[in-house]
Amino acid sequence: MPRYIYALIIVILASCARQEPPGRNYLDELRSVNKLVLAQMTISKMATVGDLRPEDAKGMKQTAAALLDQFKIGNRKAAYSYDTYLRSYIDLSQLQPGDISIDHEARTVTIALPPVETEYMGRDVTIREDHYRVTGLRSDIDQDERARIKEAMNASLKAEVEANPEFRQKLEQQARAKARAYFTSIAAADGYKANIIFKPSRGGGQ
Amino acid sequence: MDLYKWLIAAALVVIAGLGIWFAIEYHNAPEVERTNIRPGKIADIQSMAQLCTVDFYEDFPVRGHIGSKHIFARIAMTGSISFNLDSLDIEERGDTLVVTLPPEIVTAMESTEPGAYEVIDTWNDSFMGSSKFTTAEENAIKSKARLQFIRRIYAKGYVRRARAEAVANLRTLLSAATGRPVEVIDPTPDGKIW
Repeated sequence: MPRYIYALIIVILASCARQEPPGRNYLDELRSVNKLVLAQMTISKMATVGDLRPEDAKGMKQTAAALLDQFKIGNRKAAYSYDTYLRSYIDLSQLQPGDISIDHEARTVTIALPPVETEYMGRDVTIREDHYRVTGLRSDIDQDERARIKEAMNASLKAEVEANPEFRQKLEQQARAKARAYFTSIAAADGYKANIIFKPSRGGGQ
Repeated sequence: MDLYKWLIAAALVVIAGLGIWFAIEYHNAPEVERTNIRPGKIADIQSMAQLCTVDFYEDFPVRGHIGSKHIFARIAMTGSISFNLDSLDIEERGDTLVVTLPPEIVTAMESTEPGAYEVIDTWNDSFMGSSKFTTAEENAIKSKARLQFIRRIYAKGYVRRARAEAVANLRTLLSAATGRPVEVIDPTPDGKIW
């Protein structure tokens, strides 16, 4: 059997043996994982801060606030943005020895990879101030308000990613392509053709 | 006289009705929102092959000051330690394969969990001084805190553990793959902060 295929099997077996049962983490805040990260996506989110215009106001509260804004002296306008990162990976600890089959005569290797999963990596610690114009007697935008804006942007982004499958689909597509290329190159080093299959995810998608 | 009473009663009913209507309308009216959040845009998608061995999540205190202005906040930090599988340095010394473990990739970011960043207190040592921080000032303090957090990840041995696991995995992998003795060199077992 070609050495790279041996290597692949050893990696799989080693990863299975190393998997710690859930709840037995090294430390509470530290988790041992065995992920092959294949793709990463950066999503930019922007928010603008400005006075309410009477024509855009809806309902009593907004109309009252919009009218009040008309009498305030000065301007209060700003724009903030930051990036959020998602990544797609396959969990190597889910691989089983039976997930790999080799046909020496046809010189093909069939690998059934665990489904590609996507998770949030995190977001920028800082926030970009793309625009800031506070004049006259208007109050500055302070750290508390910025924190609230970032929180609202975060909630909005998560709702958007949840509602629009395109975000995850694009990333997972890229990850699957990378996985195919990666495992194909391992097999090709020994003159084997790789047939990569992805197991369906729990949600039923590919 | 009766008519007068009836008129007063009717007026009271109308006023009460208007009051209830106003209260309901006000309660159901959309909240005042001066922030307009734009749809998210995909800025970049990258392919990679990185073996991630450790994930972490930790609350981290942020303390800092700009002049006499002080801030104390809390950030929920999240991150991972990974190794680039495309950058393995393999060298042959006789029968032995000598592999150098690549540098670790430590990512540390603000979590996307709700309430991941919270300003707890701000104050100014100067009498009547403002305790408002500009974006640049706050960013500088938070960036510094992030670096402190990364240093703490190293100090707590997270990187050492991640590298040790990577060394063991690589040795097993390559000796099985080649049938030859394999020596995995880790030039920085504790990792290296770049």
